[in-house]
Amino acid sequence: MSETVTFKLNGKDVSVPKGWTVMKAAAKEGVEIPHFCYHEGLSIAGVCRFCMVKVEGRPKLEIACNLQATEGMVVSTTEDEVKEAHKWALEFHLINHPLDCPICDQAGECSLQDYYMSVGKYESEMTRPKVLKPKALDVGDQLVLDTERCILCSRCVRFEEEITKTDALGIFNRGDRATIGTYPDKRLEHNYQTNLVDICPVGAFTSKDFRFKQRVWFLKDKKAICPGCSTGCEVDVYGKPEDSHYYRIKPRHSEVNGHWMCDKGRYYYDHMNPVGRLRKAISGIEGSRKFVDTDEAIADLARKISNSSVSDMALLVSPQYTNEEYAALLEFFVTQMGVKNVYQWREPTESTEDFDGILYRGDHNANTAGLAAALKAVGLENNIENQFDDLAKSGAKLVVALAPELSSTYPSLKEQINKLEELPFVSMWTIDGKVFEYPGINHAIPMKGFAEKKGSFIGHSGVRKLEQPFPAGNEHARDLVETVEALTKVMAHL
Amino acid sequence: MTHEKIILATEGKENQRSIDTYLANGGYTAIKKAAKMDRKAIIDLVKASGLRGRGGAGFPTGLKWSFVPPDDGKPKYLICNNDESEPGTFKDRHISSVNPHMIIEGMLIGGYTVGAEKGYIYSRWEFQLEIGYLEQAIKEAYEAGFLGQNIFGSGINFELDHYSGAGAYICGEETGLISSLEGKKGQPKLKPPFPALEGYLRRPTVVNNTETFCNIPHIITHGAEVFRRYGTEKSPGTKLFSISGALNRPGVYEVPLGYSLKKLIEEDCGGLKDGKKIKAVVPGGMSAPLLMPAQVETATLDYECMQEMGSMLGSGAIMIIDDQQDVVDLLRITTDFFAHESCGQCTPCREGTGWLKNLVNGILEGTEGPAAVDRIYQVADHMEGRTICALSDAAAWPAKSYVKNFGEEIKAYIEKKGNRA
Amino acid sequence: MSVFSDGLHTKIKVLVERYETPRSAILPALHAIQDEKGWISPEAVEELHTVYNLERVHVKEVISFYDIYHDTPQRKFIIRYCGNLTCSMLGAKEAIHKIEERINELEKKSGDDCPFSLEVFPCLGKCDGAPVMMVNKDRVEHATVDKVEELLSKYAPLN
Repeated sequence: MSETVTFKLNGKDVSVPKGWTVMKAAAKEGVEIPHFCYHEGLSIAGVCRFCMVKVEGRPKLEIACNLQATEGMVVSTTEDEVKEAHKWALEFHLINHPLDCPICDQAGECSLQDYYMSVGKYESEMTRPKVLKPKALDVGDQLVLDTERCILCSRCVRFEEEITKTDALGIFNRGDRATIGTYPDKRLEHNYQTNLVDICPVGAFTSKDFRFKQRVWFLKDKKAICPGCSTGCEVDVYGKPEDSHYYRIKPRHSEVNGHWMCDKGRYYYDHMNPVGRLRKAISGIEGSRKFVDTDEAIADLARKISNSSVSDMALLVSPQYTNEEYAALLEFFVTQMGVKNVYQWREPTESTEDFDGILYRGDHNANTAGLAAALKAVGLENNIENQFDDLAKSGAKLVVALAPELSSTYPSLKEQINKLEELPFVSMWTIDGKVFEYPGINHAIPMKGFAEKKGSFIGHSGVRKLEQPFPAGNEHARDLVETVEALTKVMAHL
Repeated sequence: MTHEKIILATEGKENQRSIDTYLANGGYTAIKKAAKMDRKAIIDLVKASGLRGRGGAGFPTGLKWSFVPPDDGKPKYLICNNDESEPGTFKDRHISSVNPHMIIEGMLIGGYTVGAEKGYIYSRWEFQLEIGYLEQAIKEAYEAGFLGQNIFGSGINFELDHYSGAGAYICGEETGLISSLEGKKGQPKLKPPFPALEGYLRRPTVVNNTETFCNIPHIITHGAEVFRRYGTEKSPGTKLFSISGALNRPGVYEVPLGYSLKKLIEEDCGGLKDGKKIKAVVPGGMSAPLLMPAQVETATLDYECMQEMGSMLGSGAIMIIDDQQDVVDLLRITTDFFAHESCGQCTPCREGTGWLKNLVNGILEGTEGPAAVDRIYQVADHMEGRTICALSDAAAWPAKSYVKNFGEEIKAYIEKKGNRA
Repeated sequence: MSVFSDGLHTKIKVLVERYETPRSAILPALHAIQDEKGWISPEAVEELHTVYNLERVHVKEVISFYDIYHDTPQRKFIIRYCGNLTCSMLGAKEAIHKIEERINELEKKSGDDCPFSLEVFPCLGKCDGAPVMMVNKDRVEHATVDKVEELLSKYAPLN
């Protein structure tokens, strides 16, 4: 039985579990308390001294992040004394800040800027020369560090200590010479570097990948699930739909992934961008392959299917599609048409039991469990051993191959696809524009990316939902549900 | 001097710091008496004595000891803060040289009372000579059976070790000291939790000043009333004052609290040399606001009087500013010091101490106009009460005091210099 | 070929086992290294890491935080002259100026072989002996401008 305490926050009664800080309570109530160093996913530091609140009966202002709410406490965040304290806390943070906004990626999502607008808006009273520090340092494959912009909130140091336990960052020197950094020539090596960019309230840590690419106020973000492994972290995908262009992925807080995601998943926006994406369908049924509209390619395939016998047909399915897509696919091919030869497309070098202890798993597919369940539902076995070689030797005359969306998670992809050259007809449904280079692929239908779909995966810890799709990157892209629907319609008339 | 010296009892004796001298002077009998007392009884006794921490904060010692959770099975630590880095202070250095065994005995009693079986004396690095004396004293105490396991058959265990600092004023702050002892930068820790519950390695820890420990054997042996024979109601006991400046006899003096400042300067120290006069007095270490000559006339050296006069007793470090001094330069030394020593954790202190140093140096360079004087006051004002530890306040108080008392003099200096901004 | 002498390794090994957390050994280990080598080189930090498992970042933080540790090679005698209040009031500035002059001259003659370096130090905690300086581990009181050369010549010739 957990106790609750009730206290007054800006005149309103608030009840929270005993042990909650005023900061946490205020967040729950939607009351903004400005802060830099506090982060829900990290220990309390209490160094920025920004989150001051007034507690009745106490002579000094208190920091909300380290103040336990007690029964009957009366707290104010709006009194003049508090506002004055906020103003000066911000002033102290700004006196040595380089004000790089015109060239800083953080602009538009920078805590200093945001608080200046809400708490500041005044003339600076600092007229002395600023302390200069090293800028634009390469401290990791994903990171650029600007130690001058750093406000020494220590979030990154705590992250290294508490989350990755790698202790690669320290704050050196005393006083206003204090500087964030790594040990000289020792860069960050782990798979969680970009989280530092997320937690850095300013532009001290910036992402190499995102550097100078886009101003954040032009981006739209939509919820999605990272498709990179069976963990299925909740993420926000950022894009400019008017350009059909995606720019970055950031984690979204959830029970499954806390506040974090790994660096591998950060790149899973790029394959959905126009360059490298399959933008039209391919049909080689009349002889030489050419780019065609998807509807035409679907019609061609429907004719081919209706002229084939079911025993000559095979499906090759990657575990990177949604549950809804598998249901539609197997309903059409297995249940209605009677296809029995269904093979799983897996990476032969995978070790699915691997786990790095934080988030990243060795099963580099979003929906291994979903595919297994879908196969079982239509009475098929869930074989995953040697599937590719079995298919290559099977003598199948018409293969429909649902390619993995993320080619980078299948290092053996090229080798695998070349094995299919022996088979007379392969239709590959894929997002990857490289498909045109494979002579063994006769026919292709462009697929949507994960951020463009609605549906669900079954991840390691349960159902993971894709709920906010972007519009498809190009008019020809389809998901499996739409493709099967179109096939069904065409075949009904044949 | 009409009062006895308690802490400096062995001062001037032959082999003043050896264990033999200490024993001959009644040493190591208080611990034997304490070992037969109930722990709670000792805490009550120390509370009744009214002993206040002698490091600078003046926190009641008995109360501090009472915060340690009794008998919870966790290892506990007792630490002697011999970091003594408040400029003007050199009394703990003197105790370490003259009567190191009294520190050890005070720690033995403290360790027994709070249930700590491990103790550290943390000295500042600059005390190279005195560290040698302390290590020798610890060795002697072990050899004589006053440190170690089951000391003199009492059942008390107390292991004592010495740890040296490496040049950082902030390690005089108790949680800064604990951080340093943990092998880290000497950065003070966020409170709560307080050290009595979570200190060294997140275990219950009590940190007391060297001089505070030295009062304990006397209190145990003679009781609270005898202790209160000297001093005032709110500031009982004797205190060591380090007094320096252009004096005939600067040094460390043990006097009852409530002693007249004027008497200390003129009689004990023999007044100022070479006909110099007092321009101002720093009564409690560099961070204490200045006392002006009129205040010096009537000031008594106790916590309440210093507070009433707008200053503080602090570490009892008295520095005499004579009339030939340039206050702008003294202010520069002060702001340079705090900017150098700020640990850098908290934004108001890190940036504020730098800003103050910058402003004062600007005045000296001639790049600041008279507005800088008010700016110094304003910046200092907003550094107070906003940080994890009191260094920010310690930096703010003297800055405000110089502006308040010598603002016009500083402005005249600026005018004379001519603003070359 | 180890960076530390056998004797230094022995000292550090004792230190690492002396405290309840090996990390507490960082400060005394750095003192021991400086006693032997005069400064703390990157090789020394590497040795502390590979042999004694102390995190490089932790060691560097300590070196950069405290005034006593040096991460560049030092001269034979480090003069730390107190620049605080009482010492300044009682002649520190003049003495410091004199020392600077002498060191400049010695540097002209023998460059970095000059045996002395000078740091104006925040505080030495012996104001009744003002003005005070330390020469390596020795405290030298009443180091006024008229006496300072004689006091320093006990360590090395000043000309």
